[in-house]
Amino acid sequence: MMTMPKININEIKNWTINNFFGSKLNLLLTIFSTLFIVYIISSFISFLSSAEWEVVALNKRLLLLGRLPAEDTWRAWPILWLFSSILCSSIGAWGNPKKSELLFILLAFLMPAAIFFSMSYIVHISITIIIGVGSYFSSRIIKKISAIKVVMYLDTLKKILISLWILLIPLVFIVLLIGGGPKPNLWGGFLLNILLASVAVVAGFPLGILMAIGRSTKLPVIKTACTLYIETIRGAPLVAWLLLAWFVLPKFLPNFYGLSEISVVIRAMIVLSFFASAYIAEVIRGGLQSIPKGQLEAADALNLSYFNKMRIIILPQAIKVVIPAIVSTFIGIFKDTSLVFILALTDLLQVGRIIPEQDPKFFGKQIEALLVVASLFWIVSVALSNLSSKIEKNLGIGTR
Amino acid sequence: MIFTVLFAIYFLSVAFQLELSLSHFKSRAGFGLSHLFLIDYTSNDSRWVAYYAGVINTIRVCLVAILLTTVLGTVMGVARLSKNFLTSRIAWAYVEVLRNTPLLIQIIFWQIVFLQLPHISEAITFGNTSAISNRGISLPGVSDNGSAQMWFIFLGIMAAGSLFLSYFLNKREDKSGEYLSIAGYKLSGNIVGIIFFALIAVVTYFAFGKPVSLDIPSISQNTKGTWMQSGGFELSPEFAAILFALVIYTGTFITEIVRGSIQSLSKGQTEAAQAIGLSRYQSMTLVVLPQALRSIIPPLTNQFLNLTKNSSLAVVIAYPDLFMVSRTIMNNSGHALPVFFLILFTYLFLSLCISLVMNLINRRVTRIGT
Amino acid sequence: MRKIKYTLLISALFAMTAFSYACATEDSSEASSSGGSNTLQEVLDRGMLKCGVNDNLAGFGVVAADGSFSGFDIDFCKAVAAAILGDSSKVEYTPTTASNRFEALGSGEIDLLIRNTTWTASRDRELKQDFTAPTFYDGQGMMVYVDSGYSSIDDMEGATICVLQGTTTELNLDDRFTGTGMSYTPLTFETNDPLQAAFEEKRCDGWTTDKSGLASKRASFPASAGGPEALKVLPETLSKEPLGPLTRDNDSEMYDVVQWVVFGMMQAEESGINSSNVSSIASNPPNPGVARLLGASFEGGEVQDFSFGIPKDFMQKVISQVGNYGEVYDRHLVPLGLERAGSLNAMWTEGGLIYAPPFR
Repeated sequence: MMTMPKININEIKNWTINNFFGSKLNLLLTIFSTLFIVYIISSFISFLSSAEWEVVALNKRLLLLGRLPAEDTWRAWPILWLFSSILCSSIGAWGNPKKSELLFILLAFLMPAAIFFSMSYIVHISITIIIGVGSYFSSRIIKKISAIKVVMYLDTLKKILISLWILLIPLVFIVLLIGGGPKPNLWGGFLLNILLASVAVVAGFPLGILMAIGRSTKLPVIKTACTLYIETIRGAPLVAWLLLAWFVLPKFLPNFYGLSEISVVIRAMIVLSFFASAYIAEVIRGGLQSIPKGQLEAADALNLSYFNKMRIIILPQAIKVVIPAIVSTFIGIFKDTSLVFILALTDLLQVGRIIPEQDPKFFGKQIEALLVVASLFWIVSVALSNLSSKIEKNLGIGTR
Repeated sequence: MIFTVLFAIYFLSVAFQLELSLSHFKSRAGFGLSHLFLIDYTSNDSRWVAYYAGVINTIRVCLVAILLTTVLGTVMGVARLSKNFLTSRIAWAYVEVLRNTPLLIQIIFWQIVFLQLPHISEAITFGNTSAISNRGISLPGVSDNGSAQMWFIFLGIMAAGSLFLSYFLNKREDKSGEYLSIAGYKLSGNIVGIIFFALIAVVTYFAFGKPVSLDIPSISQNTKGTWMQSGGFELSPEFAAILFALVIYTGTFITEIVRGSIQSLSKGQTEAAQAIGLSRYQSMTLVVLPQALRSIIPPLTNQFLNLTKNSSLAVVIAYPDLFMVSRTIMNNSGHALPVFFLILFTYLFLSLCISLVMNLINRRVTRIGT
Repeated sequence: MRKIKYTLLISALFAMTAFSYACATEDSSEASSSGGSNTLQEVLDRGMLKCGVNDNLAGFGVVAADGSFSGFDIDFCKAVAAAILGDSSKVEYTPTTASNRFEALGSGEIDLLIRNTTWTASRDRELKQDFTAPTFYDGQGMMVYVDSGYSSIDDMEGATICVLQGTTTELNLDDRFTGTGMSYTPLTFETNDPLQAAFEEKRCDGWTTDKSGLASKRASFPASAGGPEALKVLPETLSKEPLGPLTRDNDSEMYDVVQWVVFGMMQAEESGINSSNVSSIASNPPNPGVARLLGASFEGGEVQDFSFGIPKDFMQKVISQVGNYGEVYDRHLVPLGLERAGSLNAMWTEGGLIYAPPFR
C-alpha cells in the first residue's frame, strides 16, 4: 500500500505534488491515467445501467451446482459448513489478521452470497455465517488460553486442523456420494471447478514429490524418465491433455470392476491430477534446490539412509519453502478447470455460456452471465493469492 | 518393482494394439479454412496442408503475441513502480483483475468486443487507405508482384551482412580508435551498417523489377451484392480477439516478473544512475532494465511457453489454429489417437524452439553482465 | 508429526473408498461390455438409461434452470426409457458436443445417442455405430439477412459463412461452394453461442446448419438484432440430413428396441392412438393390428410377443408417458415454426416420409 497522507495540509500538498504533478512526465501520466480511469468507469456504468440480471437470477443453482438434482441440493450445505468452519478456525489459529483483512474475508464470503441470495436458503446462509464466526472466535480463545497458561491446546488444535484439511476432499466425496447420491457426471457448476482443482492438486502432490526427487537424483535412467514425464506434460496444452480423457483413458483402463466405464468427470480428475503433478514437481524441485548443501552433508554425517534423509531432513524444508508456489499452482489449475468444456462437462463457465440459449429474451445477455462467472473465479483466486503472500511473509521467504 | 514391470507390460500391450498410422492425412481434406496466411490451401488439398495452415496460424499469433506482451508487461511493470499514484494504481488494478480471471472468459469477452465494430456496409474508411469493420481492420500492406520471395531472402542475407559490417567496424573502433568519416562527420559502425543496408535495399528493389507494391485495402460490393473487404494487411476480429486476450493475460504475469526483478535490484543502482545526471527515463532504460533483464529472462521463457500453449484456446472463437484444425480432422477421419499424438509432438516442438531461442538470449544477456 | 502421518494414511483409505464407491455407483453391473456388447441387459440391470443429448439447441434439447432437459430428441430418450424400464424419468442425460458425441457412445459413457445426428455411410461404417430409423428428416439450409438481397446460394460468391465445427455441415458447405467454383470464407465455431453472436453482428453473410436448427434460431432471433423478419432461409437444400438415434455397432438387442420404439410411435400416430386415449384403446383394441402394437389382447386372444426382451406392452407405456410421434413433434417443433404439413416429416399417408414397417 502507498503511504496515505496524514491530516496535515502541508503533507497533503506535498504528497499530491509528489504523486501527481512532480515533473512534466508525471503531469502527462496523471492526465493520461485520469482519462483512462474515467473512460473505464463510465463504460462500466453505462453497461451496468443497461444490464439485466434475470438470466443469472433464474439460473443460480445451475451456476453453483450444475445439474445436481434438486433433491440432492442439501449435500452442498454440509460441504460449505465444513469448509467455512475449517477455514475460519485456521485463520484464527495461524493468522493474525488485521481488521481490514477480516473485512475483506467477510466481503469475499458475502459477495457470492449476495449474488446468489435467495429467501428459501436464509436459514442455511445464516448457519454458514454463524459457523464461520463461531469457529474463528473459538480458535482465537484457544489461542489466548494457550498464551496465558502453558498448555499445548493450540498445538493440538493446529494438528487437528491440518488433519481436517487433508481429510477435506475425501469427506466432500463422502458427502456427495453417501446414501445414493447423484452420479459424478451430474456434478457441475462452481462445485465442479472447485472439486476438479482440489482433487488435481491433492492427488498430484505425492506424484509430484516423487517426480521432483526422481529428477534431482543422479541415477541416469530415473532422472531421464522423470524429466521426460515432466517436460512432456508441460510441453502440451491442457485442452489437448483433456482430450486424452475421451479416447485414451478408456482404452488403457483395464476392464476390471467397471473401471473402464468410469464417468468422464472422474477421468477428467485423473488427467488433471497427472497434469498438476508435473507442475508441482517443478515447484518442489525448486524447493529442493534451495536447500543448502550443508543440510545434506549433516544428514549424511548422521548416517541416515537416503529414504530417511529425504523424509526427515530435505522434504519438510523443501515443501515449506514452496507452499506459496503450490498455492499459485492451485490458482492456475483452478482457472484452467474452465477448459473442461472440451469434454462437454458443465462447469461454471460452460453454464455461463449456455444459459443465454434457454430463452430468446436472454439472447445478447452473455456479458452479464460471463461477468458473474468471472467474478466468482476472481474472488477465489484473489483470496488464495492473498493467502499465499501472507504465508510467504510468515515464512520469511522473499525477504532478504 | 514387480508392479512397475507388470504395469509397463500391460501399458505396452495396450499401446501396441492402438492404431497410430497417420496415413489418412494424405486424403482430401474437404473442408474450408479462413485466416490463410503464407499458404495456399483449398479443400482439395490433403489434410497435411490443412494441418500446416493451422500450424502457421498458431506460430503467427504466438510470435506477435510474444512481442506485444513483452512490451506491455515491461511498460506495466515499470508503471507499477511509478511515482505517479494513479499510474501505479492502474497497473496494480490491471494485474489484480485480469490475472485472476480465466483466459477463456477473456477470449470470449474480446470476441464480443471486436464484433461491436461497425458492420461492413457501414465500415469506417480513412481516405481509402484503411478500413475498419467487424470483418477486420485493414491497413495498407504490401503485395507480391512475383519475385517478392526472392527479394526478401536476398534482403535477409544482406541484413546479416550489414550486421556483420557494423560489428566489424565497431570492433575496429574499440581496438584501434579508427573510424570512417565523411567531411569531418564521424560515422559509427551502426550508421554505416544502416546506410549500407538501405542502399542495397533500394538498388535491389529496382534490380528485381519492383518485387512489391503498396496494397491499399478496399471495400466494395460485387455484382451479387456481397460486401467484400480485400487487399492490404488485414487484422480479423478473431485474430485480434485471441491476440488481445493472450497479450493482456500473459502481460499480467510479465508485469509481476518485471516488477519483482526491478525491486530485487538494490536501490543504490537507481540512485547512482541519477547521481551521474541521468534522467529517470535514462536511468530506467540504461541502468535498471538491462540489469533486471538477467533475472527476468528465465521466468519470461516460462510465460512465453504458457502463451504458446494457451493459444490453443482459439478453438472457442473461429480462429483456425493447429488445435482447431486437428480437431476437425479428428472428427472427419474418426482416427482420434494418431492426431492426438501429432498435436502433442507439434506443441512439444514449438515449446522446444522457444526454449532454445530464449536460452540463446539468456546466455548472451548473462555474458554481457560479467 | 506422527499424528499427521496417521491422518494421511486414513485419508488415503477414505479417498480410496470414496473413489471405488464413485466407480461402483457409476456402473453397478460389473458385466463386461467389450466385444459384442449387450447394452439392453446393462440398462435393465442398472435401472437407468444413459442418453447422450444436445443441451444447446432450442426445440431438440435444452437445459432448463432446474437442470432438467426438454426437447424433441429428449422425448425419444424418454420413450426408450419408458419402453425398457417402464418409467420415462429413468434417464440420465449426458450433454455432448458435435465433436465428442461419437467418442462418448464408443467409450460406453452413454448407451444411446440422440443428438440430431445425421446418418452417413462413413459414420455408420468407420465410426462403428448403428443408426436406427430417422426421427426427423432435415436438410442443410442457408440463412441470410433479408436486406442482403440474396435469393440463392449462387449469389453468395465471396461471402463469409458461419458454420459449426465437427459436423457434416462443414463438409457439405465446402462441396456446394467449391463444387460450383465459388469462393467463400468459412468461419468455423466450436459451439453455438459465439457463432450466434458473430451472425447477429453481421460478421458473416450466411449461417448454415440444418433447416430445423435455422428455423428455431430464426424464430428466436432477438428483436435487438432485427427479429425473425430480418432473416430468411434460402429455399435451396444443400444436403439430405436424416437425423436419428444411434447405438453401438453390433448391439442388436438395444438397436432393435430403439428402432421399434421409434416405429411404434409413428405407427401409433397412424392408428390414431395418443397419450390420452391409449389406455381405453388398449383395454378394448379396435383391430388386431392395434392390439399387436400395444401388446394387448384382441377379443381375448393371445398377446403377440415380439421377444424384444422387454415387457410386451412397452408401447402402451411409451405412448401414455411420452405420446405418439405427432404429439412429440407438436410439443417441441411446432412452437419453433416448423410446420409439419407438406414437409418430409408428414405421415406417409399425407405425402411425407414418416412410415413405420408393420408390427406383425
